[in-house]
Amino acid sequence: MAEKPQPVRVLYCGVCSMPAEYCEFGPDFEKCKPWLIHNAPDLYPDLIKQSNANEADKVTEQLQSTGMSSDGATPSAPKQEEVKRLPGGKIKKKEKQEVVIEKVIRNKRKCITTVKGLELFGVKLSDASKKLGKKFATGASVVKGPTEKEQIDVQGDISYDIVEFITDTWPDVPDTAIFFIEDGRKVPAA
Amino acid sequence: MFKKFSSEEVSAQNQVKASVQRKIRQSIAEEYPGLEPVLDELLPKKSALVVAKCQNHLNLVLVNDVPLFFNIRDGPYMPTLRLLHQYPNIMKKFQVDRGAIKFVLAGANIMCPGLTSPGGALDEEVEAETPVAIMAEGKQHALAIGFTKMSAKDIKSINKGIGVDNMHYLNDGLWKMERLN
Ligand SMILES: [Zn+2]
Repeated sequence: MAEKPQPVRVLYCGVCSMPAEYCEFGPDFEKCKPWLIHNAPDLYPDLIKQSNANEADKVTEQLQSTGMSSDGATPSAPKQEEVKRLPGGKIKKKEKQEVVIEKVIRNKRKCITTVKGLELFGVKLSDASKKLGKKFATGASVVKGPTEKEQIDVQGDISYDIVEFITDTWPDVPDTAIFFIEDGRKVPAA
Repeated sequence: MFKKFSSEEVSAQNQVKASVQRKIRQSIAEEYPGLEPVLDELLPKKSALVVAKCQNHLNLVLVNDVPLFFNIRDGPYMPTLRLLHQYPNIMKKFQVDRGAIKFVLAGANIMCPGLTSPGGALDEEVEAETPVAIMAEGKQHALAIGFTKMSAKDIKSINKGIGVDNMHYLNDGLWKMERLN
């Protein structure tokens, strides 16, 4: 008889009931966020960053409304000047205008290049995605990133030619505003 | 199939005869040899197996009110996602790319390109009409149970249309039915 397998314990979200890693695709990611910050901080590191910075009051609000204690997540006071309320009470962080390019390795040798932030320069992402796909003769699509922001995923490693293409195609984007993520660090492309 | 599923769709719930129980255990053991060492715990000989008959020729196999397997007519038994999460290696795996996740979670069948794109992955040994675990790019756990319409090789070469039927997915009616009372 084969060795007895131990059952895997999966972390299920206390709000939407799915494995916590799928909350971002769940019926209401916003509602899961306070739970995730407490129970699955490793899965969504960006949430912690957000909650520690500008979205602090929103998160605290949600923690209170879901009856969870907010200790451990007591964030510093939000900087008012950087917070802008959108219709519907959503808070939007004023973002630094920059384009961030990251190469992500998937399944051993396959890889994709993600491009974030073009929309901050008034570029239409669907249009940009088409242009990128055409230029590099590959698949490119607009997808929602882990933090619910849209980004462009381009199949293959195109990170070395992409800077020139971006500055040529969209002159509004200066090369000083383009950054690469390398080994987890942000480095200027120029 | 379980999109709008609820206990109301269970038309009959019966403790099955010993001979039928043996047959069910045997088919499950054959389909999922990896479960064999824990099968006595999962489907204890002492506690009765209950089969709930539901609409559309669907059968649920329950132990102590917990749905563990399902099948259609007398097709192959498939584990519920909660059971698969515990024993992830009992099934062959396909992987969809990140872009396909939201469609799978909305109950859509799985299209070939979602499996053949760089974010997807196929187990080439899988034939048509086989239960498979549907995994996702960048995720650790399965998000659906599928039943292949084409072999993995055909999915790769044809690369069009539906490759795998979505039988059961996270947050569908069966997922929400942790127990049937
Ligand atoms: Zn959740």
